[in-house]
Amino acid sequence: MKTRTVELVVKPRDPHFVGDGFRVHNFIPSGFRLDMERMNPFIMMDYNSKFHFSATDNPRGVDVHPHRGFETVTIAYKGKVAHHDSSGGGGVIGEGDVQWMTAASGVLHKEYHEEEWAKKGGDFQMVQLWVNLPKKDKMSTPKYQAIKKEELDRYVLPDNNGEIEVIAGGYKEINGAASTFTPIHMLNARLKSGGKADFSFPENYNTVLLVIEGSITVNEKGHAPTDHLVLMANDGENFTVEASEDALVLVLSGEPLNEPIAAHGPFVMNTKEELMQAFHDFNNGKFGYLEN
Amino acid sequence: MNSTTLKTFLTTNLNVDANEVVAILDNCTTKTVKKDTYLLRKDERCTHTFFVEKGLLRQYSIDDKGKEHVIAFAPENWFVTDRESSYFNSPSVYYIQALEDSQVVLIDESFVQNLSEKIPSFIDFNTRLLHNHIRHLQKRVNELLSASAEERYLQFVKMYPDILLRVPQTMVASYLGITPESLSRVRKGLADRNFKK
Repeated sequence: MKTRTVELVVKPRDPHFVGDGFRVHNFIPSGFRLDMERMNPFIMMDYNSKFHFSATDNPRGVDVHPHRGFETVTIAYKGKVAHHDSSGGGGVIGEGDVQWMTAASGVLHKEYHEEEWAKKGGDFQMVQLWVNLPKKDKMSTPKYQAIKKEELDRYVLPDNNGEIEVIAGGYKEINGAASTFTPIHMLNARLKSGGKADFSFPENYNTVLLVIEGSITVNEKGHAPTDHLVLMANDGENFTVEASEDALVLVLSGEPLNEPIAAHGPFVMNTKEELMQAFHDFNNGKFGYLEN
Repeated sequence: MNSTTLKTFLTTNLNVDANEVVAILDNCTTKTVKKDTYLLRKDERCTHTFFVEKGLLRQYSIDDKGKEHVIAFAPENWFVTDRESSYFNSPSVYYIQALEDSQVVLIDESFVQNLSEKIPSFIDFNTRLLHNHIRHLQKRVNELLSASAEERYLQFVKMYPDILLRVPQTMVASYLGITPESLSRVRKGLADRNFKK
């Protein structure tokens, strides 16, 4: 087993607003060496670093928009989001919860700060990921996995080093609650100051670490402060993360899909024709209808 | 939908060597503009045709009551200009504004002259573009006079497949000459017929 080294520590880009409810730093695909092909199956990562939203009676959010060809994963660290779709589905993603939405053949939805939360305002911190689907599953039936904080199992690290919360895939003998179409590990590593955790993923799996809180050192030399992303090289399996202070790190590692990517706006398919079809279907009401 | 440079656009359509085009393109200015930037305002003289390499422009007018009317959207690979102002040298009645951060080539009359002299096939191509544009405007007038809101909407999304996802619904409604409520009704009607849960 070889050591997987740090390829790059990436500073957060200037934030932009998605709608008026999400103030995000985009890492994937707009970052240097973080394009869709390099990071596949993680084809988009927007990070809403901790940001205070003032109280309002008109919840902020993102208006109606479609998705096709992938899954969206929303990890709520702070704040609450309500969502509704054109099939009549909906729900609330609360603090510590994860929503794994398989948009697949098509979902038309809107996402807003939850009404009661918006009335009070507060700190908001979330990650939204797009996880690519293999060609054979891109047009499968949409589904949701609404995973509550309590349903996420944790591996307690020895010597009071902290714990690893498993969203998908596994860590040691603990498995994640989310089911995935391709092999993916998604973990929240909560490390105490000076706490260490070892990770091992197959060499070809694309792997990143996002520092949500605190700061970390990877393999005893690569330092990454809060809100920075660590891109791991594909040159080995094993690496160590040590917390320089109490830290929370989102760890992602996934087997790349070796299929062509054709992406435009909210659709990610394999060919340009499939993209055109997606726009045609959306324009002609095949994703349903939803009021803003 | 994918961004294309004017060089690629011309070499592909004219079947000429890229080097020939490059020499002439050197005289053109490529401008990067932020969202909301105006490339033309009412009462100004329009001195350029704008070719959109990346981003999205719109041409619109504002009536006496202050209401906006979208004449055209110009996404990637589209040309937009006020031909009345540029050709007849009259003050413009239109605004041309970037709806997204955009990359735009400013084409002036000397560029067209130059290209026509050096690459004779350009003259035919340019005439074809002009007729294509006239055909589009005729169709648009005819549809505004005779077609239903749904028919106009369906023509719109055929011509501009991704604009619905890039601009506010009010601008699409304005382009179609209907109220935003009518646009919602049209889209809801289509969804009622075509959406299978």
